[in-house]
Amino acid sequence: MTDARTTPEDEVVKHYREHATGEPSAHLDSLILGVAHRETPMPKPSVWQRWVQVCQKPRWQVAFASLVGVTLMVALVQRTPEQAPSYDFTPAPKMSAPVAKKEAAPAARALAAPAPMADIAAPAQSESINAGMAEESKVSKRTAVPPNQLDEQLREVIRLQDAGQAPAADALLKALHLRFPTENLIGRLGDLRKN
Amino acid sequence: MSAPEPSDEALLARYRGGEGPAFEILYARHRQGLYRFLLGLSGKTELAEEVYQETWLSLIRSTSQPQGRANFRTWLYQIARNRLIDHWRKHGIHHPLHDSYDEQAHALFDEATDPELLLSLSRDSQRLETALQNLPADQREVFLLRTHGDLDLPQIATLTATPLETVKSRLRYAQQKLRRLLAEEVLT
Repeated sequence: MTDARTTPEDEVVKHYREHATGEPSAHLDSLILGVAHRETPMPKPSVWQRWVQVCQKPRWQVAFASLVGVTLMVALVQRTPEQAPSYDFTPAPKMSAPVAKKEAAPAARALAAPAPMADIAAPAQSESINAGMAEESKVSKRTAVPPNQLDEQLREVIRLQDAGQAPAADALLKALHLRFPTENLIGRLGDLRKN
Repeated sequence: MSAPEPSDEALLARYRGGEGPAFEILYARHRQGLYRFLLGLSGKTELAEEVYQETWLSLIRSTSQPQGRANFRTWLYQIARNRLIDHWRKHGIHHPLHDSYDEQAHALFDEATDPELLLSLSRDSQRLETALQNLPADQREVFLLRTHGDLDLPQIATLTATPLETVKSRLRYAQQKLRRLLAEEVLT
């Protein structure tokens, strides 16, 4: 700020700096410093502190809660198809009580078999349960052949026999034997004739 | 190796950021110079104290910062100068800093002064003050800003909104007159 060369004029400035008097009073100093101390600006909160303050306001709490709720719902809706188990069988909702009991028996037997292993290893139990469920599914499929369909076919056999179309009736019966090898078709045919 | 002292601007920013002790450092740096500037310019202790207090309180309560090329020092003295001018206007006092002054006439007179008189400048505070008050107000202002504000000539030119050459001549004439007045006092 000052020139390196000293001139007579600069000497006057220097002279005044050295010998001038005049100081603010102690009272004035304390007054100004007191005000400065009292009115020191509040420190600016950090980003995190500002975030916390915002979160403490009720309207923002409601907004955030709503947002979280919507997010959860959307996530659940999107994930539901992936999590849905794909079982080989589904319980027949319209099954009558006696049929349901009949169906439950083999399933209970199948589930009872791996039970002793349950306390050894959970995965083994899980596997056995799955195997049981598969077995039950097969049984269920087999027994789930609509009895009315078989009866319908057998009634058709009776109708053909009554109509004098014996070759056609025999051919249909042979086909039913192939299709339902475990069924007592002759006995069942007799029952239908009695009815 | 000690760390360099923080600048005035850094201290102000720290105070505005909530660090109270930063203001105390800032105040200690400028209290004497600002007070002597106001005392010399107003010529009255009570008025100097009033404007001095107003200046600092204004700075404390303001959220503004030195703008553009102005540093804190220039800004502080600008506030003080404006406050003093406001006070003069409010009380219907003629604004002495607007007095016109025939600087050429003073220059001719001052050139006749013997440079040897520099060795015997008065150190009496009353005589120093009286000599200062004998200066035209605009010369006194430039001299006080240079002496107590420690501002350089371009800063003074900016602060007073005066051409640099005018500031230079005002300072030169002020110094010559003071030298003459103080030397004459010693000789008599």
